Amino acid sequence: MSALLEVNGMTKSFGGIHAVSDVSLKLEKDQIVTVMGPNGAGKTTVFNLITGIYTVDRGSVTLADQDMTNKKQEEITRAGIARTFQNIRLFNGLTCLENVMCAHDPLIKYSLFDCIYPSPRKRRLDRENRELALSYLEAIGLQDYKDEDPFSLPYGMQRKLEIARALATMPQVLLLDEPAAGLNTVEVEDLMVLIEKLKKTFNLSILLIDHRMELVMGLSDYIYVLNFGQLLAEGTPQAIQENAEVQRVYVGGEE
Amino acid sequence: MSYFNSIISSVGISLIGIMSMYIITGMTGMFSLGQASFMAVGAYVAGILAVNLKLPFALCLVAAVVVGALVGFLVGLPTTRLRKDYIALVTLAFGEAIIAILNNLTAFGGAMGLSGIPKRTTPALVIISVVLIAGMVWQLKKSRFGRQCMALKDDPLAAKSMGIDVDRIKLMSFTLASGVTAYAGALYAFNTTYLDPTAFTWNVSAEWIIILVFGGINSLTGALTSGVLLGLLPELLRAASEWRIIIYCVIVLLIINFRPQGLFGNYELNLRTLGRDVKRLFTKRKNINEVKK
Repeated sequence: MSALLEVNGMTKSFGGIHAVSDVSLKLEKDQIVTVMGPNGAGKTTVFNLITGIYTVDRGSVTLADQDMTNKKQEEITRAGIARTFQNIRLFNGLTCLENVMCAHDPLIKYSLFDCIYPSPRKRRLDRENRELALSYLEAIGLQDYKDEDPFSLPYGMQRKLEIARALATMPQVLLLDEPAAGLNTVEVEDLMVLIEKLKKTFNLSILLIDHRMELVMGLSDYIYVLNFGQLLAEGTPQAIQENAEVQRVYVGGEE
Repeated sequence: MSYFNSIISSVGISLIGIMSMYIITGMTGMFSLGQASFMAVGAYVAGILAVNLKLPFALCLVAAVVVGALVGFLVGLPTTRLRKDYIALVTLAFGEAIIAILNNLTAFGGAMGLSGIPKRTTPALVIISVVLIAGMVWQLKKSRFGRQCMALKDDPLAAKSMGIDVDRIKLMSFTLASGVTAYAGALYAFNTTYLDPTAFTWNVSAEWIIILVFGGINSLTGALTSGVLLGLLPELLRAASEWRIIIYCVIVLLIINFRPQGLFGNYELNLRTLGRDVKRLFTKRKNINEVKK
């Protein structure tokens, strides 16, 4: 039985730069797996390759034994891989609620004719979508801000809203790209509780990128460490903490 | 009276054109500098059917919309996949090509124009059309389609990551808008009773975009308001005939300079927002009074 999400020998070069070379990782169902590494190690590139933003040069991505390699972004998302972005990319011009709703809209079926005419079918499906979106906002605790402009919210809330939007695509696997970046210690603790809660409520398996040690060590079942686009180490949080190689990359070697 | 009727008809028809531009630019974020040529397509289809085949008025309108949407689909197929700026270029080229073809098609009047179209467009019909189409576009904006349009307009990459089929939505938006523009063209044909290809050049499209930006590119009610304002302005300034274009330009420039988000910005005028604002106004007053006490 193979893992839910499997990346095998993934390689990507931009010109002469090997951004990611021969990276393999596995995410089992109900696990939280972290990809960590110094700046420029290729973590976000790995995410972009999994979600189809870049095409893979070599290697493969499979989700529940289905081949996802080099499929279109929207197909990959509909197959069940959702993501958030490191630099927040919420939709301007839509309210918080609409931001979440629009991520679920591709899954709703009503025709273009229904779009220009308030048919009962449209009203029912839109109401269901609204309620669903509202339940996601409640799950992250932003229900009171549903009609606000997302960019008027504080940074931490925007990050949470991105998670709610990703959830609205009904994913099996959630990719979180530095969810704790720019958050203070209290907010990071909140976020950890939230991620655990969401994982249980929505039956998610989570692949995470982050630097914050308390978050990574507290949440992860398994950790992969990238350095210069290559896998440096992998193991349980315990093993990674004791790994001399990882310490050398992160803290600097003791000469 | 006929003076007012003709103003109502011409402003109403351009409002329909502006609304089609709103679908493309305001909702989906594409710049079409050739949109007026779809108006030409609609006008000529309706005109030719009415003059040469003597088809009934309603049928001509339907045919114009169908052909307009079809041409929109064919042009959109390669075009909408492009980036914003290239869409503007390609649609501009396409629009000018249509005008050039019509100018040289002597069978349909060529540069002489197509005349003899019966006058069937009434101000009442134009007003009803504007109201119906405004309702449709409003519904569209509030539908799953509109939300996906707004999302991909702001950030196509993130939209794709949310499972939105960006290319398909853009093509649908372009096709739909072209059908609406063609309808405006058909009304135009039966209003002026005479068609001349040069009435549909790119400056018409540019003017629609200016009006849209003036009203606030995200706001349908803003677009309609600025469409009426800027449509009537040249008429109101008729007394200052030499100055009116300058005054018009100064007003547009002032708005663009001091209120870049347009007259309305993201604001939509409707009963709900109106009620909220009135309430806000009164609560504010009350708070001020309490502070004074």
